[in-house]
Amino acid sequence: MNTGFRSQCVPNYRVLTEYHIKEIHAATLEVLGTVGVRVLDEEGLQVLKKAGCQVEKENIVHIHKDLVEETIHNVPSHIIIYNRKGKEVMHLGGKEFYFGMGTDLINTIDLKTNELRTSNLQDVINAARVGDYLEEIDFIASFALPQEVQTNLMYIECFKAMLENSIKPIFFTAAGKEDLEFIIEMAVTVAGGNNRLKEKPFLIHYSEPTSPLSHSRSAVRKLFLCADHGIPINYTPALLAGATGPVTLAGAITVANAEALSGIVLHQLRAKGAPIISGFVATTMDMLTSSVVYGGPELRLTHSACSDLYHYYGIPVWGTAGASDAHCFDQQSAIESAISILMAALEGANLIHDIGYLGQGLTGSPATLVMGSEIIGYVKRILRGFDISRERIGMEVIQQVGPGGNFLLTEQTRRLHRQEHWQPKLMNRDNPDMWKERGNKTYGERVTQKAIEILETHKPEPLPESDRRTLEEIIKKAEKSLAGIRFVV
Amino acid sequence: MSIFEDLIESVIQGDEANVKELIHQALKNNLPVKEILNEGLIKAMGIVGDKFKKCEFYVPDVLWAGQAMKAGIELIRPFFQQVEVSPLAKVVIGTVEGDIHEIGKNLVAMMVEANGFDVVNLGVDVSPEKFVECVKESGAKICMMSALLTTTMPAMKRTIEALREGGLGEKVKTMVGGAPVTMKFAKEIGADGYSPDALGAVDLAKKLIEAYGEGAKK
Repeated sequence: MNTGFRSQCVPNYRVLTEYHIKEIHAATLEVLGTVGVRVLDEEGLQVLKKAGCQVEKENIVHIHKDLVEETIHNVPSHIIIYNRKGKEVMHLGGKEFYFGMGTDLINTIDLKTNELRTSNLQDVINAARVGDYLEEIDFIASFALPQEVQTNLMYIECFKAMLENSIKPIFFTAAGKEDLEFIIEMAVTVAGGNNRLKEKPFLIHYSEPTSPLSHSRSAVRKLFLCADHGIPINYTPALLAGATGPVTLAGAITVANAEALSGIVLHQLRAKGAPIISGFVATTMDMLTSSVVYGGPELRLTHSACSDLYHYYGIPVWGTAGASDAHCFDQQSAIESAISILMAALEGANLIHDIGYLGQGLTGSPATLVMGSEIIGYVKRILRGFDISRERIGMEVIQQVGPGGNFLLTEQTRRLHRQEHWQPKLMNRDNPDMWKERGNKTYGERVTQKAIEILETHKPEPLPESDRRTLEEIIKKAEKSLAGIRFVV
Repeated sequence: MSIFEDLIESVIQGDEANVKELIHQALKNNLPVKEILNEGLIKAMGIVGDKFKKCEFYVPDVLWAGQAMKAGIELIRPFFQQVEVSPLAKVVIGTVEGDIHEIGKNLVAMMVEANGFDVVNLGVDVSPEKFVECVKESGAKICMMSALLTTTMPAMKRTIEALREGGLGEKVKTMVGGAPVTMKFAKEIGADGYSPDALGAVDLAKKLIEAYGEGAKK
C-alpha cells in the first residue's frame, strides 16, 4: 500500500477559492436583501409574502438572507434523469457533466444546399435523430424552432417530434403555462401516468427569469407548474454584462446569481424538495454590434465562477458550451465550440446545453452537432487523465524493449492502446497523399457528410403505436383550446 | 466449426499458440498444405485487412494477427517444395543511409510480413551497397526504402541508381516511403512505387508481384 496515493492524474480546475465564493455569496445576499427582485406574478408574490419577505411597491420583493440560506440547504443536491424507456442516464450533481442540445433556433443551415434558411418541423425531427445517434450527446432538445407552425402550438409539436425520434432525455421550452400543460400531458402519456413520470423523469423544462432581477408572470407560472408536477426545471437567467447587468464580470456574476437564487426560493416555497437545476449565464453585450455574445471568453470565466458557486451550494448546475457566434460552420465555430466544451467540462457543470449552436443562438445545423460530439469525445479523454500506477508505468516492458527497440508489438500496446489513446472518428490524421487520395475533404465536409449519412441510416426506436395515437389526440385538443388565444406573458 | 474456421479465427485473434496447435492437427490429419496456407492463413489475413480498413481493427491488432500467421507459416514452410507451393515473394527493407528512424519502416515490414511475404529487414542507416548486396543474395523481388528526414531522402535516389548499376534494374522493384516522401518525389527518383501508409504498402507490394507473374507468363 501507498498511503493516500491515488494513481489517477486528472486535470483540476476552478476559478474561485472558498474565500472568493464567500465574498460573492455575501454580495448576492446583499443584493437580494437591499435591492430585491421584481416578481410579476400574484401567486409568486403570495408565497414570498407568506415566507416573511417584504413586498414593496412595483412588485419588488426583498428576500432575507436566512430564507435564502435555508432554501439552499434544502434543495436536492442530485437529480436522476431517465431516458424515455425508464433507464437511468444522467446523475445531475457533483461535478458529473453531461452534454446536450439547445432549443429554439429560428434558422437552419440546410445540410444538402448549405443555404441559411428559416427552420421548420423537419429540422426538429432531423436534430432529434442526429442527437439520438451521437454517443456523446446525452440529452436532446428541439434545436430548431419550426417557423411554419403557429406559436401557440410550436413547442407542443416540437415535443412530440422529439418523443417520436429519440429515446434520450428531452430538454425543452414552452411559450407559457398554457402550452406547457399539454406538453406535460404528453410526457405523462409516454411515462404511463403522473407518478411514473415523477419517479422517472425523462424531461427537463427550461425557463428563465429576465435580467436584471425580474421574474415575469409567465416564467413564475411555468416554474410553479413544474414544481407541482415534480418535473425537473432548469430556471436560469442569461444576463448581458454592460446592458442587462453590470459591465464588470464580478457585478454581472453577483446580479445573475441573485436572479438564480431568488428563482430557487420561489420554486422551493411552492414545493419543497422539488427538483431544480440552477446557475446562470452572464455573458457580454458586444459593444460594437450590440449582439449577444455566445462564444466569448468572458462567458467562460463567469460560468466557471457559476459552477464553483453551485458546487459549493450543492445544487445541480446548468451550463452552456459548443456554441458560436459564427453564422456558418467555419473555423470560428470550431474555435469557440472547442474552447467552450473544454472549459465547461473542466469546471464540472452538470447539464451543459447548446452543443451545435451558431449565429448567436439563432442558427443550427445537424453538422455542427456532429462536430460538437467529436469535440466532447476529445475533451472527455483529457478529463479522464492517466494512471501512474506501477502497472501502467510498465517498467518491465520498458526494460524488455530497451533502447532502439519498438513498443508496437508488445502485449501491453495491444491490450491498452484503446484505453490509453482516444481515436477520432472524423478528424483528419491521414498523411498528405492519403488525404488527397480520399478526396481532400475539409473537416466541415466530412462532418456534413456524416450528418447526411446518419439521417439516411439511423432508425430511432419508435414510440408504441397507442402512445402515438394519444399524442395526436392531445395535439388536436391543444389546437382547439389554444387557437388564437393570447398567452400570459 | 471446421478446422479452417478455427484457424482463421485464431489468426484474427492473434492467438499464436492456438494457430500452431491447429496447424499441427491439420498436418496430422493430412490436410493439404496448400489449403492450410490459402484457405486458412492467407484468407484470415484478408479478413484482418478488411477489418483494419473499416476501422474495426487497429495497427496492433493487425500486427498480432500477422505474428500468429507467421508462426503458422513457419510450421508449413518445410512442405512447400514437395507440394509445389511457390515460395513466398521476398522483400528487402531498410532505412536509407544516414537515417536511423525505424518505427515506420518496421511497421511496414511487419504488415508486409503479416500478408504473406518473406521479409529481410536490414535495419537502419543502410548504405546503397548494402541494399544491392542483399537484393542479389536473397533474390528479392521488391526493395523497400524508408526515410524520415528530408536530408536523407536523396539516399533513396542513390540506392535506386546503385541497384540499376548493379544490374538489378529489371529484377527488383523499388518502393519508397516515410513521412516527408511524396508520390511526386517517388516518380522523380524513378521508384516503382510509393505508399503513404503501411497497409497501402502491402497492397502495392501485392500489385507489383502480380505484375511480375504476368510478365513471366508473357
